Amino acid sequence: MYNQIIFYISAIFTVLFALLAIKFDNIFYSLLSAIVVFISIAAIFFTAGSEYNAIIQFAVYGFAIPVILGITIMFTTLKGKTENSSRNKWISYILFLLGGIFLIALIYLVLISFVTVPDGFNINSNSPVSGNSIPIFADGIFKKYVWGFELISLVITIAAIGLTIFKKEVKD
Amino acid sequence: MEGLTLYHYLFLGLILFVIGISGSILCKNVIKVLISIEFMLCGININFIAFASYCGSPAYDGLIFGLFYTGIGAVELAVALYIFYLMYKKKLSDNIEHYGDL
Repeated sequence: MYNQIIFYISAIFTVLFALLAIKFDNIFYSLLSAIVVFISIAAIFFTAGSEYNAIIQFAVYGFAIPVILGITIMFTTLKGKTENSSRNKWISYILFLLGGIFLIALIYLVLISFVTVPDGFNINSNSPVSGNSIPIFADGIFKKYVWGFELISLVITIAAIGLTIFKKEVKD
Repeated sequence: MEGLTLYHYLFLGLILFVIGISGSILCKNVIKVLISIEFMLCGININFIAFASYCGSPAYDGLIFGLFYTGIGAVELAVALYIFYLMYKKKLSDNIEHYGDL
């Protein structure tokens, strides 16, 4: 019962603030709305039974990424000129129309899948992973996908070192 | 009120993905475009977690891939923001229409 309440509130917050993040003209308000979206998604992960993913989402997307975005905004937008360019409005209308048709088609597919898919998938029950998900992660990270995990760590390290070297080269 | 099913999560992920696509196409501010791309990644991540939770027994591999996806998304955003910062110093504009000559 609590899962359902948390899910519906988080889902409403996610969709509403995602739309607001796109709609706001002020980029700082967009960033604040995006933070709400990311934290709501962490709550949705929690309702899906994956506490570890929720914590990682909360830490990375709720704190680390907004800090990077905020620093970038401070270094760029406030110093320069923010322009409202004149993109052709007809293109926007056509894109909205195509997006609406695409969305309606996908909703139709999802509704059809309600009828056809359940026998095909191995859906356990109406309840997600119950209990502690940490042993599942330990088994996956340290046994089954240990090379993938190390590869991701290597990519993050390469990105950090690469950005540092690149910044030095640009300065020179 | 019925219980939560897999389709609740899939539908939410779909809506978030569509919002991300429309934002990345329609927004002119580079940072807004990057935020929209993160929305798309989060929508995909919801699908990973939902499938792992509801159909993943006994492996739950989707949870691990969701974790990997979060890391990759963070790296991608950091690199993209640094490239934007370098371009901004030349262009002095955050309008994506001025960023055709990467």
